[in-house]
Amino acid sequence: MILFPHLGPELNETVYLMAAVAAACAVPGVFLVLRRMVLVGDAISHVLLLGIVLAYFVVKDAASPLLFFGAAAVGVLTVALVEGLQRTKLLKEDAAIGLVFPFLFSLGTLLASMYLRNTHLDVDRVLLGSAELAFRDRLTVGGRDLGPRAFVLLGGTFVVFVLLIALFYKELKLCTFDPGLAAVLGFLPAVVHYALMTSVSLATVAAFDAVGPVLVLAFFAVPPVMARLLTKRLVWMLVLSVILAVTAAVTGTLLAIELDITIAGTVAGVLGAMFAVVYLFAPRAGVLAEMIRRVRMWREFHETLLTVHLHRHAGTPAEAEESRVDGLHEHLNWTEPQTAAVVRRAVANGLMVRAGDCWKLTDTGRKRAEEIVGPRLGERGASAP
Amino acid sequence: MTPAVEVHDLTVAYQQKPALWDVDLTVTPGSLMGIVGPNGAGKTTLLKAILGLIPVVSGDVLVHGRPYRQQRRRVAYVPQKSSVDWDFPTTVFDLVRMGTYGRLGWFRRPSRAENDMTRQALAQVGLTDFRDRQIGQLSGGQQQRAFLARSLVQEADVFVLDEPFQGVDAVTERAVIDILRKLRDEGKTILVVHHDLTTVPTYFDAVTLLNVQVIASGAVGEIFTPENLHRAYGEAAR
Repeated sequence: MILFPHLGPELNETVYLMAAVAAACAVPGVFLVLRRMVLVGDAISHVLLLGIVLAYFVVKDAASPLLFFGAAAVGVLTVALVEGLQRTKLLKEDAAIGLVFPFLFSLGTLLASMYLRNTHLDVDRVLLGSAELAFRDRLTVGGRDLGPRAFVLLGGTFVVFVLLIALFYKELKLCTFDPGLAAVLGFLPAVVHYALMTSVSLATVAAFDAVGPVLVLAFFAVPPVMARLLTKRLVWMLVLSVILAVTAAVTGTLLAIELDITIAGTVAGVLGAMFAVVYLFAPRAGVLAEMIRRVRMWREFHETLLTVHLHRHAGTPAEAEESRVDGLHEHLNWTEPQTAAVVRRAVANGLMVRAGDCWKLTDTGRKRAEEIVGPRLGERGASAP
Repeated sequence: MTPAVEVHDLTVAYQQKPALWDVDLTVTPGSLMGIVGPNGAGKTTLLKAILGLIPVVSGDVLVHGRPYRQQRRRVAYVPQKSSVDWDFPTTVFDLVRMGTYGRLGWFRRPSRAENDMTRQALAQVGLTDFRDRQIGQLSGGQQQRAFLARSLVQEADVFVLDEPFQGVDAVTERAVIDILRKLRDEGKTILVVHHDLTTVPTYFDAVTLLNVQVIASGAVGEIFTPENLHRAYGEAAR
């Protein structure tokens, strides 16, 4: 299938591969972000090399699917080691990750550079990935070409993830949000936790041959974080993560092909740019929305303050002086332009009207003030039984 | 009458250091019991051990005469408000409905019955108007009431609450205690970890004074005495 006719079939396949990587990583990424485990994902994505090398020593075949499971097993082992270290209470999670991950990673690179120099498991490729070359390694079943091996693998991983989430949505949500309650209600949060970590390892090992651990991590973290700024529901966070990740992957890949630059690097750059846009302009949680909300609150507060001031002096001998149109700013110790702006909005909002040289509260204005300070003393006395 | 909760010889240790030392506790059905004691007395640890959330060195817990593990569904748990991430992408309605997941078990999804229970619980704690809010947009008191609503839909006989009055407004405190009293009047058993000694006599009818060991436990009138408080808290309580 050719979606981008201006590119050849091989480049088309590269685009699809990147989309599959994005989708397969974004789904477990949502749970990594919600569990504050993105750094654990980072560690997993680096130590897989060790698993691949160790599995290679056993099976002596660089194309064996057992390498895949060896890598995933080491990923899960990393999580177990990090959590074991944490449980000793001698160090915190970040330090535990910092301890385990460089050790296992260096072990992996050491072993690879000592014993595997002549195979295609070289360190550079393992670190940066090679999406550009992935179309060469094809999966054929019974003589039929199913596409690049990596694409089939990642597409399959994504489909499996979607099915698992459809089946266990409720359990995943509860175990992620409140593991204590999950345990009390008879679910098995520890099992769910390790199942998730296995999924993360599988997604990583499936993806990193194509894109390298850095972009894997970007797909784990950035799309879910963007989605979280855009929605308040987990199911939409999952859907949006996948959409955003795939969008970034396709845009980045096309851009990289156009400019003839590294695909993994360009996609990571596009992800960063998309995040900046979402961070600034997300309708509810973005920086701009927050600023607008603050300005609104600030304005409303000042209008209310004005009503309280007028209300406090209404009907007192000082009223004429305190509510004078040209003297208001002096009493409040505001600048004239500021006072004028607040007055203009308060009048526009129907809180006060001009009566001769003075400002007077409307009924709405008085109600606003009374919400804050209650009815005036004299009036309260009069209305008491 | 079989006690609602029976704790026998329960010892919990963190790194060989006992957090609870051979605790025995009997809670009669229909009591509203406060668990009080100084910081580090093991109040939260006791709740978590009763609920099987942390490993114990010795002892066991019976709920209505049978081991807790067989009675899980009869116990509702309200953890400390600070134990969850309130930025989590979920609504108040969803949060409360999580309490029904126990009766659903694996795979089954909430249906109309669970939604009805959820709506009813929301109404009971006065959060109906907030049902579609993201949980982080609630005030501290509203969050606590949402947690309480979540325990109501668990259809339990025993309620276990960890510091439900921590950092909440007076309105919530009154609403929570009213609901707890109503539950007690329906024959439910309620255990509350509490830290404000001044409200103990008004809120609870039974009290357990804890300081790693059980200092005293029973009706508030008999147990909540200056002598016992002194034994639990040391000089500071005088």
